[in-house]
Amino acid sequence: MAEAAKKHLREYETVLLVRPDLTDETVESVKDRVKTIINRDGGKFLRFTIWGKKKTMYPVAKQPRAIYIHAHYLGGSAMVTEVERNLRNYDEVSRFISKRLSDDIDPDTKQPQEDLKLAGDVDDNKPLGGAERDAMGGFDDGPFDSDD
Amino acid sequence: MTPNERKSDRGDRGERGEGMDDEKRGRGFARRRVCRFCADQKLSVDYKDQATLKYFVTERGKIIPRRISGCCSKHQRQIARAVKQARGIALIPYLVIGS
Repeated sequence: MAEAAKKHLREYETVLLVRPDLTDETVESVKDRVKTIINRDGGKFLRFTIWGKKKTMYPVAKQPRAIYIHAHYLGGSAMVTEVERNLRNYDEVSRFISKRLSDDIDPDTKQPQEDLKLAGDVDDNKPLGGAERDAMGGFDDGPFDSDD
Repeated sequence: MTPNERKSDRGDRGERGEGMDDEKRGRGFARRRVCRFCADQKLSVDYKDQATLKYFVTERGKIIPRRISGCCSKHQRQIARAVKQARGIALIPYLVIGS
């Protein structure tokens, strides 16, 4: 049963919100911490995407903006719990959400990629109004179109 | 805004009667709505995709029911879940208080 040793992992992603006033070094330290835990606990780290500083729809940790960081990795459920436990201890991390993307991934099929940094600050994030939605195809008449 | 408009915006179940009247008036002329996620297999519901999700949320931040949006029940469940997850990371508001 030598081939039984081939271990399949689950694919996860975690989105973190960190305080907007942090320097790049602090953001790097958060990234390193997450990366270390994943590699230590038998997972495989794939990619970090920094979405940049974005305006949040409501104040998060009394701040109107946050830096969004997206982590993509392979691992097990215990590892995700450990990552989340560590994030809770970080004062800089105000919120996070982890999600399973797929089960049963062969780690050899996914290769780590270079970290990506996007320019954040997209202010166009309020919900669509009736006219804007109509421009995108819209719905039939309904009570929700005449919001406000 | 009249009191009636305000009431309809709350979307309470109690105002179902008014909705029925609206449907009666438009019966036979309603455009057939299609679930846009079923129509285009390449589209998927993603809680990170703010642009798609805000199409399914009112200006007040409430999830649009599928009788209005025309989504199938499977995708409506996915949308509802995605909207709630997006609210958690502040991509979509829980509530927008009127200006």
